[in-house]
Amino acid sequence: MSNIVEAKSMNKKIALGKDNELHILKDVNLEIEEGEFVSVMGPSGSGKSTLLYNISGMDRITSGSVKFKGREIGSLKEEELAKIRLETMGFIFQDINLLKNLSLIENVMFPALVSKDADKNAVNQKVKKLLKMTGIEKLADHNITQGSGGQLQRVGICRALINDPDIVFGDEPTGALDSKSKEEIMSILAEINKKGTTVMLVTHDVKVAAKTERILFMVDGNIVAQKKMRKYDAQQDDIKQREESIMKWLVENGF
Amino acid sequence: MFLKIVKNDFLRNKIVTMTVFVFITLAVILAASAINNIANLIQAMSDLQERAAPADITVMHAGDYDQAEIDQFTEQYHDHIAMQETMILQNIDGSNIHFGQNQTMAGTIQDISFVVQNKKFDFILDLDNEKLDVKEGFVAVPIYFMEQHDLKIGDTITVKSGGDEKEFVISDYARDFEMNSSLTSSKRFVVNQNDYDEMLKMQAGELEYLIEFMLNENGDSAAVQTAYIEAGLPANGPIIEGKIFTMFNAMSDMAVAIVIIFISILLIVIASLCIRLTFLATIDEDIREIGVMKAMGIAKKEIKKVYLNKYRVISVVAGIIGYLISFVAVNLLNGNMRLYISSDLSGSLKYILSFIAPLLVYFMIVMYCKQVLKRIDKISAVEALRSDIMEHGKNRKYSFPLLKNKLFSTNIYMGLRNVLKRFKLYRLLFVIFILCTFILILPLNIYNTMNSPEFSTYMGIGKSDMRIDLRRTDTITEDFIKLEEELKNDDDIEKFALYITSSYPVKNAEGSWDYINIETGDFSVFPLKYLEGRAPEGEGEISLSFANAEKVGLNKKVGDEVTVRVGGEEQTLSVTGIYQDITNGGKTAKAHKSLGVNEEAVLWCIVSMDMAPGVDKRVKMDYYQNTYDSAQVNDIKEYTHQTLGNLIEQMSTVVMGGIAIAIIIAVLITALFLRMLLSKDMSQIAIMRSVGLTSKQISHQYMAGTMMVLVVGIILGVLVSNYLGEFLVSMAMSSMGAAKIEFVHIIWQTGLLCPLALIIAVGLTIFMSCKVAVKDDLSVVLRS
Repeated sequence: MSNIVEAKSMNKKIALGKDNELHILKDVNLEIEEGEFVSVMGPSGSGKSTLLYNISGMDRITSGSVKFKGREIGSLKEEELAKIRLETMGFIFQDINLLKNLSLIENVMFPALVSKDADKNAVNQKVKKLLKMTGIEKLADHNITQGSGGQLQRVGICRALINDPDIVFGDEPTGALDSKSKEEIMSILAEINKKGTTVMLVTHDVKVAAKTERILFMVDGNIVAQKKMRKYDAQQDDIKQREESIMKWLVENGF
Repeated sequence: MFLKIVKNDFLRNKIVTMTVFVFITLAVILAASAINNIANLIQAMSDLQERAAPADITVMHAGDYDQAEIDQFTEQYHDHIAMQETMILQNIDGSNIHFGQNQTMAGTIQDISFVVQNKKFDFILDLDNEKLDVKEGFVAVPIYFMEQHDLKIGDTITVKSGGDEKEFVISDYARDFEMNSSLTSSKRFVVNQNDYDEMLKMQAGELEYLIEFMLNENGDSAAVQTAYIEAGLPANGPIIEGKIFTMFNAMSDMAVAIVIIFISILLIVIASLCIRLTFLATIDEDIREIGVMKAMGIAKKEIKKVYLNKYRVISVVAGIIGYLISFVAVNLLNGNMRLYISSDLSGSLKYILSFIAPLLVYFMIVMYCKQVLKRIDKISAVEALRSDIMEHGKNRKYSFPLLKNKLFSTNIYMGLRNVLKRFKLYRLLFVIFILCTFILILPLNIYNTMNSPEFSTYMGIGKSDMRIDLRRTDTITEDFIKLEEELKNDDDIEKFALYITSSYPVKNAEGSWDYINIETGDFSVFPLKYLEGRAPEGEGEISLSFANAEKVGLNKKVGDEVTVRVGGEEQTLSVTGIYQDITNGGKTAKAHKSLGVNEEAVLWCIVSMDMAPGVDKRVKMDYYQNTYDSAQVNDIKEYTHQTLGNLIEQMSTVVMGGIAIAIIIAVLITALFLRMLLSKDMSQIAIMRSVGLTSKQISHQYMAGTMMVLVVGIILGVLVSNYLGEFLVSMAMSSMGAAKIEFVHIIWQTGLLCPLALIIAVGLTIFMSCKVAVKDDLSVVLRS
């Protein structure tokens, strides 16, 4: 399988005042294969989310290289980057980040309607399918103040999937949800991954990480360890065992 | 502590705070200057009045007159009358007054007379408001002519009569309380008694008498006027009350002051709207901090103080600066007053009165801020700590669904629907665009109306190409008949109509007699637009000017009857219509020619005419001007121009000022608004970018929405300035005699050029301001 993301000596610094700067990502090297289900763990402030935002092109790296499907995204113009985000990436946020002036269904269809040649009927059908898949079809015409956290996060997932992305990034997508919602969201993401979409999540939660196939452990802006597992299969794998193994691995690496 | 908070807040919102500051300062400058101007006007007028001691009643008369009878009348009514003096005017035709390089004063619509300074009252003053004392060989020229012909002290003017001529050197300008204004149709040149006597010998002009009365403090003007007429004393010209002169003198300065106060009010409204916008943005930003302060138990009053103090400080500083600058700015406005009323405007009243402006602005701003800050009361600590409660509290309804959009691209549609959904926010900009269009178009409409031949409607005359005025001379009747004959045989004249205006005694509402100028002739040739009813078409019919028909005049409606004394007999005429007329103090009447001519009291004769197609108007005008000595031949547009005089010029300044102010305000507020809107929508913009929209696409959304607000605002603004503007101007003009002004619309100016200018200026601003910043990392906003 080819790599969908390749980062080499990736650095990210943020200026703090005139003479001060914060070095968040330090010479990070990373490869993610197409169809992989990856999670990133680590203590707060270790640079997990920053890694996600920088390899997705939402933030610009300070130095080094990030390639997405072979293209160096650091050198792309804003329009080219936006096109990549629109057509090949999906993003799920912890804060969900829906557009206030759109209904739930419109939030989902908006990225698809932005394209000049969008077929409204086809978009509408696809949205309905996605809402059904995520179990929120009854909420379609509601506004964003009328859904629970879990329901809104499903809307966020539908939005991320509307343009059939090659990769879905999730910045703690289950961080603010109750355990039942968390389970359901992870099942949806696993389902997407099974269909071939690469998924990369940032999480604090071992239960979430246990459902991915590779865990990157970050400390102080570096990936200090990686744990590779086989793809989770609810029928064959004991989830408790996977969680315990991850916990042990984390402790060994100083978590 | 408070100053520190104010300072930090200022640093956080530098541009917005500066804009609010500039608007408040401008508002104070304008309001204080206008009040300053009014204060100056009050003091200067009272000073001028005191020194000029104008007559309370002036009777104009031409023809036989006996001073002894008038002295007897004065003696009889000494309870009312303090003094009487008769000024003898030598009326000179403008074409007989030569100056400069073979120039004459021909073509002026003013009656020019040469006089000697009065002895008791109604003094004509110099520019220092000192009583003019003109030496032999010199003349003092009225300010009106000094401006019209750019006459300088030391220049010479020559009066010619037959073979004789008399040369004068200009020694002074004459500031004439009674006849300063262009609206008064006579102007007085002051000469020495010896020169005056010489001119009499030359028979340079026709004699006319100003029989003037100054009343005691408790003198009853109406009673004296009635008694005078009933005593049959000489009065074949109009009788004018002193207060009309005061009104004419003050009018143009007062009009300018009112316009400026109006603009200042608009600026205060705009500053308030800016403050509202600032509050909406900052309170939304600070909502969590407000929650924390409330949760800590800090009283609402104290929290409000934090926000209020900034505007208190701004208003105080802007008030002081504006107040001080107004004393410099006022010099731009009082040129006319310095010239016509008083060169010395050093009175102290203005310092006190104009201080009202900053005080008023301060209280208005603080009151408004308190009103806006009531929002804080409504927020509970818990709600404030939950993010976005201000936005999300309401259950939104989702109209304009994205899928229903067939006309626009999704982006443009998003921009348009964003405006409709958040109209409360865009309302500010919408109101600004309406106001700016109003400021831009209303003065232009007024200017175009004043400048158009249609304006003759408000001067009580039908629309025609040309007008000949025959001045009152001994030969007026013969000249009139000769002219009529000549016009009948002149193929170059398509149509013409002759009108004779004479003074007739008319029974007023109280049953006593007033003298009213009645014009007789055939009014069907050049029809006049009537406010009500129609022109008099047959015997026994009369129409009245608006001012005459009003309650304070004869108090008549269409269908009522008016009693007129013609040749000693009373005639009852029926009122057929009411028309508008701002000439002659607004009080005129028109009657069918069967009423006859009051030979004794013919005031003037007018001929209105239209040229046949292809005839050179200028050549024809010159011909009649040269053939008839006592004639004034005017293009009708020129006639309007001279009557309205500097009012048109001042209006053109207001038009230019209006255009500049409107565009500056629209551009500034748009830039400010979009800056704040983009900062308020920062997180929504980041979300859109995160899902794959380019900053250009997002900019297009904001451009489309704002352009829609602009275009709709301009359309409404044009309608408001046309309809509400007409109503406001009619209200203002009704005191002058025109109660229903209909604007002359020059569509390419008001419907195309002005809106286009505003669209281009604001459109460019929108284009520049809607640029979404792309440099920053998206995570900074998305994760905050």
